[in-house]
Amino acid sequence: MGVQTTAEKKKVPIVEGLFTWPSDKPQLIGSKCPVCGSVQFPKSDTCNNPYCDHSKPPEEILLSTEGTLYSYTIHVYDLREPFSYHKAPYAIGAIELPEGINIIAKLTTTDEKKLKIGARMRFKVDKLYEDEKNVYLTYYFEPVEEGEK
Amino acid sequence: MSESAVVSAAITNWMEAGKPTPSGMSMLVDATLRALKEAKMKPSDIDAIICNTTALPFNDASYITISAQHFAHRLAEKIGSVGVRCMNVCAACASAAIAFAMADAMVKAGVVKTVLVAGFDNSPRGFYYQGPSILDSDLTVSYPHQVVGITNPSYWAMWARRRAYETGVSVEDEKRLMATVKEIQSEYGARNPYARYKKVFTVEEVLKSPVVCDPLHLYMICAVSSGAGAAIVSNMETAKKITDKPVRVLASTVGSAVFNEPSPRLVYFATAGGKRAEKPFIEWRKPIEAAYKQAGITAEDIDIIECHDTSCFHPINWIDQIMGWEREETDKLIKERQIRHDGKLPVNLSGGTASFGESVMSQALMMIHELFRQLRGEAGERQAKKNLKIGLCTAYGAYGAYGAILLEKAW
Repeated sequence: MGVQTTAEKKKVPIVEGLFTWPSDKPQLIGSKCPVCGSVQFPKSDTCNNPYCDHSKPPEEILLSTEGTLYSYTIHVYDLREPFSYHKAPYAIGAIELPEGINIIAKLTTTDEKKLKIGARMRFKVDKLYEDEKNVYLTYYFEPVEEGEK
Repeated sequence: MSESAVVSAAITNWMEAGKPTPSGMSMLVDATLRALKEAKMKPSDIDAIICNTTALPFNDASYITISAQHFAHRLAEKIGSVGVRCMNVCAACASAAIAFAMADAMVKAGVVKTVLVAGFDNSPRGFYYQGPSILDSDLTVSYPHQVVGITNPSYWAMWARRRAYETGVSVEDEKRLMATVKEIQSEYGARNPYARYKKVFTVEEVLKSPVVCDPLHLYMICAVSSGAGAAIVSNMETAKKITDKPVRVLASTVGSAVFNEPSPRLVYFATAGGKRAEKPFIEWRKPIEAAYKQAGITAEDIDIIECHDTSCFHPINWIDQIMGWEREETDKLIKERQIRHDGKLPVNLSGGTASFGESVMSQALMMIHELFRQLRGEAGERQAKKNLKIGLCTAYGAYGAYGAILLEKAW
C-alpha cells in the first residue's frame, strides 16, 4: 500500500466539539442560556452567570464568524511534545465576537502589518498538522482585507 | 472579631526547579523551625497548620506527588503535633496567600489562637501544559494548548499589548517599561540573600534577550524554582506576649473568577458572554477593594507593595489595579524609578519572582516574608527609606485565583 497523499487523508478536528465539521461553512459551537441569554464557548451544559436562576440548561448555538481583534502575540518559541506541531513563529489572538464573548484563537498570519487591534477578523478552519493517517484541523481567525465585504 | 498579627516569618533559599535535593520536606521543615524559633514557640503551641499543595502534575510521578498534596499532615507528623487542625490549600500561584487568608480568618473568628502557614513547591519546568484528565475533561480548560498553542506567557503578552493600545503608547514603550521593572527588581534580588538570581540586569540587556512571545522577552518572564516559606499568625493578645513588633493583619481577602471579566483569563478558551465590565482586570481589583473596605483605608494609604510578578507586565498591572489611577501615573512612577527603596511607592523590594523564580504554590510566603521584614525595619540593604506603616501583598494564579493581604505595623 502506497503512502497516502495529503488530499487522500481524512480531515479530522484536533478536538471534537469546538466547531462544526464536516461542513462547507464551519462555525464555532457555543451555547446560550435560554433564561439569561449568556453565551459561552466552548459549549457548556451549565450557565455561568451567577445572577441566573439556572432553571433551564443552555442550548447549543453557532457563533458569529466575524469579530474584532482584542489583542495578539507572536509566539516565537516552539512548544515541546506533545504539542510541538505548533511550529513557531505563530500568532495567537483574542477575538471579540458580537455575542460579547472574547475567544482565544490561532491567527493565520504573523505579518504584523495585517494585525491591528480593533481590526475585523474572520473565522476559518484549516490544517494544523498531519500524520500518516489524518490531516488535523483547528480553527483560525484571519484578517479581513480592506475593501472586502 | 479578634485582631490578628504575624509574629514571625521565614523562607529558604529559592533554587532551580526540578532538583531533588535537599528534599522538599526538609526545606519545609527548615522554614517552619526557623519561624517557630523567631516566635519562641514549640510545635505544641500551634493550633492549626495550613499548607499549600503542589503544582507538580499528578500525571507524571503520581506516587511522589500524592503525599505532597498533604504537606500540612506530613509537617504535623514531621515536627510533632498534638493532633492539630491540618489543611491543604490549592489555588495555583495564589495558594499560599489563600492559606494565609484561612489562617487569618480562623484567628479573627476566635476559633484558634495560633496558626502556622507553611509551604513548599518544586515547580514544573518549561511552559505549563494542561490536558484532560479523568477528574476534569471540560473543554474550556483541557484543550487550549492543543488547539491554539497558547502558553501562560501568551496571555500575559496579549494583556501587555492591549494595555499599550488602551494607554495610547507604542508597544516599544510598553516593552521599555517592562524592562525597567526588571532592571529595578534585579537590583534588589542582588541584595537579597534568599534570591536565586543575583545578577543586575540593564534595560538594554533585557530588550536584547530573545523574544518568547512578543512583546515579552525572555528576561521579562520569571524562571521556575523550588522554595519553602513559613509564617505564624496569632491573635493580637498572644502576639504582644511574643514580640514587641507584631505586624497586624488588617485584611486578607480571597478572589476568584468574575463572570463579566472582559480580559482573557489565564488557561481558558474564552470570557463569558454576559454584560462585560468596561475596564479589564475586574477580577484583580475585587479582592483588593474588599481588603481596603475591611481595613477602612484607601489606595493612598499603601506605603509599600509586594506583588506577584510572573512577568514584568504584572507589577505594572498590579500598580494600575491597586492604585486605581490613570495608567499614565503608573508609567510615570516606574519611569521615574519611584518604585525603588528610596521612591514614593516601593514595589517588590524582595526582588520579586524576577529574581527568585517562581516556586508556584508557595510563592506568596516569600512576599509575606518580605513585607513582614520591611514593616519591622529588618530588610537590611533592601530596606525602604520612607516611614512604612501599611503594606499590601497581592497574589494571582490560574483558574481565577486571587489574594490580597494588608499588613500594618502594630506598635
